[in-house]
Amino acid sequence: MATSNNIKKKKTKPAIISEDQITKKQSTLYAFISFAVVVVLWQLAVLFLPNFGNIFPGPYDVVALMIKIVKEPVGRLTLFAHLGWTLKRIFIGYIIGAVIGVITGLAMGTSKLANAIISPVFEILRPIPAIAWVPMAILWFGLGEASKYFIIGFSTFVICALNSIAGARATSEKLKGAARMLGASERQLFSKIILPSSVPQIFAGLQISLSASCSTILAAEMVRSEEGAGWLILRGMNTGNMTLVLVGLIVISVTGLILATVMRAIERKAISWSFRGK
Amino acid sequence: MKLSKMKKKNNKVKYILISIISFTVFLIIWYMVTDVFKLVKPISLPSPVKVLESFINKFTVKRPDGSTLQAHVLSSLRIVLTGYIAGSIVGVPLGIFMAWNRKADMFIRPVFDWFRSVPGMGWIPVMILIFGINIASKAAIVFAISFVAILINSYSGIKNTNPVHMWVAQTFGASNKQLLFRVAIPSALPHIFTGLRQGLNQAWASVVAAEMIGSNRGLGYMIQMNRENSRADLIIVGMLSIGLVGTILSFVLQKFEDKYVRGRH
Repeated sequence: MATSNNIKKKKTKPAIISEDQITKKQSTLYAFISFAVVVVLWQLAVLFLPNFGNIFPGPYDVVALMIKIVKEPVGRLTLFAHLGWTLKRIFIGYIIGAVIGVITGLAMGTSKLANAIISPVFEILRPIPAIAWVPMAILWFGLGEASKYFIIGFSTFVICALNSIAGARATSEKLKGAARMLGASERQLFSKIILPSSVPQIFAGLQISLSASCSTILAAEMVRSEEGAGWLILRGMNTGNMTLVLVGLIVISVTGLILATVMRAIERKAISWSFRGK
Repeated sequence: MKLSKMKKKNNKVKYILISIISFTVFLIIWYMVTDVFKLVKPISLPSPVKVLESFINKFTVKRPDGSTLQAHVLSSLRIVLTGYIAGSIVGVPLGIFMAWNRKADMFIRPVFDWFRSVPGMGWIPVMILIFGINIASKAAIVFAISFVAILINSYSGIKNTNPVHMWVAQTFGASNKQLLFRVAIPSALPHIFTGLRQGLNQAWASVVAAEMIGSNRGLGYMIQMNRENSRADLIIVGMLSIGLVGTILSFVLQKFEDKYVRGRH
């Protein structure tokens, strides 16, 4: 009863300054309810609205297809094999892009000379979205796996570089000055001051670019492929099979969420001293 | 003082010079590799001279993809602005409403969290299957993608209002409406603009993607067609135009922000 009273009282106050915050239990409950409501409404719309079901299949069909393709192959492979291909592409492209991006970003953020040398070309390449690299990637790397790694790698590279630059530049001048005064060499300055203080920002970049990879993989799999979760979606689109598109989207979204959670756990372990790690 | 200022200025000039030299060296290497030593086939990397020539010619020549460069740019811009403006008109108020109203927060947010975990590019097939390959489906793609980014940022902007400011306003007897319009929204404006910028960038990338999948005009279509025709020079022209237009769009938005968001730094 106490909670319902509270809610009544809070009606007059905006949510951001009300004293009683929504508890975890409450928010899980509401999340569950609203989720259930949407699924039920969706299914009802499919059942009772003519034509709706033809354009947009219901949750039952989607789940049924998903269970079906766990066992029966679509194209050449079953669902989990497709997912495996996608993960492999994301990981290889992501790791290459992240390593180059963080190194470039740190160099540009730390040294004015490196910045002056790299930034003209970087600034030209940066605003080009990863998808626009698809035709060039095909010309350079052919239709195989390499062009997929390149596309994922490019999008990761840009995001990681930008965040590392910002991290290195945000290093407190006072700290740098103090270290210099105490006789730190330039190398020590970098490894003891600049690098640790930019780590939270670097992790932010790693996190964002990992989520972006889950979207870019669709662009990458537009390059001729016969496997992968992105391919499932494209195949669904080309054959007019919305159910398959939705299955693919759910698979990629859930994968993205899991990857983000894993990354967050790594971050919490690696930089437990920082505000982002808390 | 004066001396150190002069030194700083000299340094700045020095770095700008280095940048210019570095870029020139980049172009010279590119030229050497392609035109002088012919290390790569022009089909995979044309020379910078050829790219520049194609760029200038593309303003008047319609071949081989059916439209001039400016026609492609205008077609893409029209789609992106339609979807994006619709996305911001819906996204900003809804985000503010979700953050302001407890019930909306509790019920809409979970659904929205679900909705936003869909990768941006994923909207393309969904919209194409619903609306077919036409302008409506592309505008809907842009709408969905920009809407998500804009809503999230407006929401977190309001949520991050400094409670002290709210308490002060309340102590002075501000009504709920005043709290919202005088305190919360102005202090959330920088966040809202971040959302508008992110939304615009993503919208621009998505329209290129949508045009690559199905279209008969637009920059995305241009680079896709020229791959099929093996015209690498025109692909590079298209890519550079995509980057350039994207930069101009964010620049314009930045100008707006500088003008209308007060008290930032």
